[in-house]
Amino acid sequence: MDFCELTTDAIDMNSVARRVVPPECGATVTLDGYARAFTKQKDGSTRETLYLVYEAYDDMALKEMEKLIEISKDKFEISNVGIVHRTGRLEIGETSVVISVAAPHRRAAFEACEWLIKELKRTVPIWKKEVYADGEEWVEGSETP
Amino acid sequence: MPVRVLFFGATADIAGKRDIEVDAAGSKTSRDIFDEVVSRFPRLASHRLLYSVNQQYASGDEIVRDGDELGIFTAVSGG
Repeated sequence: MDFCELTTDAIDMNSVARRVVPPECGATVTLDGYARAFTKQKDGSTRETLYLVYEAYDDMALKEMEKLIEISKDKFEISNVGIVHRTGRLEIGETSVVISVAAPHRRAAFEACEWLIKELKRTVPIWKKEVYADGEEWVEGSETP
Repeated sequence: MPVRVLFFGATADIAGKRDIEVDAAGSKTSRDIFDEVVSRFPRLASHRLLYSVNQQYASGDEIVRDGDELGIFTAVSGG
């Protein structure tokens, strides 16, 4: 089964990974993306993030995720894809996104998973706000669709 | 029914609201509406902006009709 979801609850990575597995598959590659404490700034210094807030354009984000799943299944020899992205406030270390790709053979699953996160970061309308001890900032992506 | 324009993240902070309504009378393109909104909230112009029509990325040429939904936002940063 393919699926994409947005949730404000903590994401259970194992259950996402299990849901994509069909009998013909031999490998599932799962990306666990989580909130990082230290972020490198444009000037090369690092800044400590206290927590993150993610916001999504829900309807469009789901449509864009569905498109990515469809394209990835044409592009790679994979069977199923599951994507779950969290929104709202996330503490450092909490999972923000899980992408699970099940495939008959692992190589295609690794390649598809890498492609999916790269495209998600470029096209799916979700934004991250980093909150620091002395301020906050909406992060703007470096690539555009 | 006017066009509904939605803001997210940085654009919502700048606009000070999450959505506004814009009159789509005449045959306005998505770029016309976009330009109108940016001139109403000039601080938007200092960001690299993207926009959508009815939850699809816009080219700018779409004719926008009453009841359509436009999204205006900065380059995405999910993941």
